[in-house]
Amino acid sequence: MRIARTTKLLVEPPSSATGDIAFNLIVFFLVCASVQPDSGRKQTIPSSETVEEDKQTENIEVALTRTAVLVNGDAIPNNRVVSRLKTLLAAKSQPDEKVVVVKSAPDTPYNHWIFATTSIEDAGGVITLQLEEEREVQVP
Amino acid sequence: MKINRRTSRATVPSMAMGDIAFNLLIFFVILARMQDDNHLQWTPAKASQLESAGHSLASVLIDEDNKLYLNGQEIGVSQLAGQIEEVLGDAPQGERTVLVKVHNETLAQRFEPVIEAISEAGGDLVHIVEEQRE
Repeated sequence: MRIARTTKLLVEPPSSATGDIAFNLIVFFLVCASVQPDSGRKQTIPSSETVEEDKQTENIEVALTRTAVLVNGDAIPNNRVVSRLKTLLAAKSQPDEKVVVVKSAPDTPYNHWIFATTSIEDAGGVITLQLEEEREVQVP
Repeated sequence: MKINRRTSRATVPSMAMGDIAFNLLIFFVILARMQDDNHLQWTPAKASQLESAGHSLASVLIDEDNKLYLNGQEIGVSQLAGQIEEVLGDAPQGERTVLVKVHNETLAQRFEPVIEAISEAGGDLVHIVEEQRE
């Protein structure tokens, strides 16, 4: 007697598990999409302290307006800020002298500020913010 | 004649254990890693030479509407330094990272006091920005 050979090559996965598999795949890709590591730039800004006017004159001063960068009072094109600061900082040997005072106009946008401060760091300077002191005036 | 009572054993199917463990794992990963300020609207500024921010204890955000948030909760600038000090606690240097997320068009009169407050609280600033592509 001849017995017919059963050729069962295709093995289907159990259909009851497809729901679980789909759910796990959705959650997996959701996690991948939402948990992206943040990348950024570290910045070291010394704690605020009262600095006397005559001491500030020894440091490089970077003034920021809405669109321009002024290094020690001279307007510098954006593509030359780093090289200009490097030249100025090269003459300073002491770490204290590498402090660069950043003075921003109130209408300076963040993207311009971040460009200027990262340029200072790239040139080897240490950033110090010069903020306008707020004074409360009581009207009688 | 005494007939033995039929005992039925109710067991959790061991087939599902892997799935359950996997789902629990993902659930806790999301809880641990997800920031509360994901729903806030802001556009990052661009800069070069970025590095990974690493693990942070606090996240300060200024959104499109100029509102200030600490870990997703709206806050005033005057309270910021104190709140950050509380969050950072006695964390040692190098583990006091504070993420700074500022909308790219925010003006200095708004964001500079925030940066000053974080610095005053002893936080290590990390500006969250986008990689600048030339």
